[in-house]
Amino acid sequence: MSLSPAPHRLLRAAVTAPVFDFWSRQFGSIQAWDRCLARVVGRREEARGAVTLTLQPNRRFRGFAPGQHVNLTAEVDGVRLTRSYSFTQPPRADGRLRITVKQVQGGRLSTALCALRPGAVVELGEPYGGMTLPQGPGRYLFLAAGSGITPLMSLSLALEQNPQAEATLVYWAQHRDELCFAEELRTLAARQPRLRLHFALTREPLRLAGEFGRRLDAALLDEVAPELAAVQVFACGPRGFVEQARALAQGRAQRFHGEAFTPPEAAGGGAPVRVQLRRSGQTLEVPAGTPLLPALEAQGLRPDSGCRMGLCNTCACRLVEGVGQNLDSGETIAEPGSELRICISAARSDLTLDL
Amino acid sequence: MTSAALNRPLSVAELDAFGAELDALRARTMAQVGAEDARYIRRIVATVRYTEAAGRALLFFGALPPAWVLGTLLLGLSKILENMELGHNVMHGQYDWMRDPHLHGKTYEWDIVGTSDNWRYTHNYKHHTYTNVRGMDDDIGYGLLRLFPEQRWRPFYLFQPLIAVIFALLFQWGVAIQRLELGKVFSGRKTKAELREEFRPVGRKMRRQLLKDYVLFPLLAGPFFLPVLLGNLVANGMRNLWTYAVIFCGHFTADAETFPKSVLQNESRGHWYLRQLRGSSNLSGGRLLHIMTGNLSHQIEHHLYPDMPARRYAQVAPEVRAICARYGQNYNTGSMWSQFGQVIWRILRHALPSRPGKAAPLVAPVAEAV
Repeated sequence: MSLSPAPHRLLRAAVTAPVFDFWSRQFGSIQAWDRCLARVVGRREEARGAVTLTLQPNRRFRGFAPGQHVNLTAEVDGVRLTRSYSFTQPPRADGRLRITVKQVQGGRLSTALCALRPGAVVELGEPYGGMTLPQGPGRYLFLAAGSGITPLMSLSLALEQNPQAEATLVYWAQHRDELCFAEELRTLAARQPRLRLHFALTREPLRLAGEFGRRLDAALLDEVAPELAAVQVFACGPRGFVEQARALAQGRAQRFHGEAFTPPEAAGGGAPVRVQLRRSGQTLEVPAGTPLLPALEAQGLRPDSGCRMGLCNTCACRLVEGVGQNLDSGETIAEPGSELRICISAARSDLTLDL
Repeated sequence: MTSAALNRPLSVAELDAFGAELDALRARTMAQVGAEDARYIRRIVATVRYTEAAGRALLFFGALPPAWVLGTLLLGLSKILENMELGHNVMHGQYDWMRDPHLHGKTYEWDIVGTSDNWRYTHNYKHHTYTNVRGMDDDIGYGLLRLFPEQRWRPFYLFQPLIAVIFALLFQWGVAIQRLELGKVFSGRKTKAELREEFRPVGRKMRRQLLKDYVLFPLLAGPFFLPVLLGNLVANGMRNLWTYAVIFCGHFTADAETFPKSVLQNESRGHWYLRQLRGSSNLSGGRLLHIMTGNLSHQIEHHLYPDMPARRYAQVAPEVRAICARYGQNYNTGSMWSQFGQVIWRILRHALPSRPGKAAPLVAPVAEAV
């Protein structure tokens, strides 16, 4: 212990998280009281409409496993926006992190991130995700479509540290100039015989040697993984792609792990939706489109509440995931981290609340 | 002038239209809230931090009278800004849309001896929902003062001119114990054990504030322990007096009204708006006054829209005033001298027995309303 209790208590009386964080930033530091901030230290155009950022996190960062993702938050026009991004490199000796951002049409955060320059500061959450490589022997088939390459890129690179693992990576894009890490992957595959690499381009008129020109189907799967029963399949990409991969491989492959990027879909009024309460660890079913507070109370819960008319903020709780709606203004609330006043807000999809 | 002469009773249909107009104004304004408001509140945060640092630094040279005076003023200014424009407004959730954890309504902790959690209950919920409803809004006299003739007179109130001054000097302590409802302990409706339990977080917060202002910073000043301690005491006192004056001007001016509990039965949104209007009063003045009062100089607008970023109140005020004029409602505003003068008059007048005048109804009797 560095300080005896009395001076420590004295200091804690004067220094609080907002004060510490304010002065830290004023002096150009990214250290923070209890949050993980990271500074952009490198930026590279990765492909058409995609940018790779190298980040230097502060001491709050606790590490991650290849294949995992992290919630990244940045401020855009005064509002903090949070999206999930995958690390595109295994953990490095210098502690820096690499993520790759695909600019989404009309996407406020992805557009802002692609425009970030070295020196900018973002915030990181806790790394998460179960699509990781177990230690020891294993044969893998990585199926990536579009930005689904990002976690599979760090898994492909991680093969180098796992001498008993071998993998085949098939990576789909519409056009060749949209392929991220094309050179890096070719170099890796040339150096590392335990990685076999195929690109697949669905809208490119001319194909080069080794490239596929069609979508995922049974024949293609047979070609890249003839002994499917001995292979673990990891698929990552848009929902339709992952579902197709699941239909082809689940039950036939040794193991199937799919991760899809999907924007949450809004449910119509009255349809039952699942509300997960993260702090109390409960999951309940409530009708979409009706105020959440009375719906939760009807099931025996007693969340904090006050005026019941949307003004005192007592019942506000954080939306972790899903789509809500402010029934007073009609406004849709889908941004993770938004406050939902549950007395005047309804669920419009399956929701997770910090309650 | 009586309230009845200033305000026309509204029919049920008029109340609905009145409410709809105020709702529409709210929607139009909230749609504009964004980057500019974020920049503004960040500038306020920076001003609070830098004035505090400068004030405390100057107080370390507090043996020199000019440094002591300037340091104390800067620290007092910082504490007032933190309390009103930053803390009070952030705790209303006015900046929740930024999703900044340090500007988050439900977790912000302000720099006074009262806990933010108790404030959120007594102020955000009780006071803002039941504004000026007798028996529901403890802000009416804070259980210490008789400010309205509808409050029952007791001989104790003869001392209230003196009590009001002491309360003003110790205002943050009053806020700190408001939720403990000590009156209930004296009358036996709350046990000592319950009180002890409720006091625990309050005691922790009090200790923290006392350690900071009266132990840590004076100790850091070494030989200048005493000037720093006194400077901090005066800065806290400045804030007590200022916040007391601003808050009392908001609801206890001559034309501000209180209401019986019966108004709450099946209250419509329009009726709720009207009650907020009739129970609140504004302070006219310049930009500096608005910032230093945390924009509570626009108490009326704040009560209509408690979760709207307060810097927007000046923008909506002319429209609110025009709506009030259209519906024959008094828009209670005046200079700080005039409004606070009326507050002082109430404190003096209702120390003595007084009888309520004829109450002005909010809603027109049905026969007239047809």
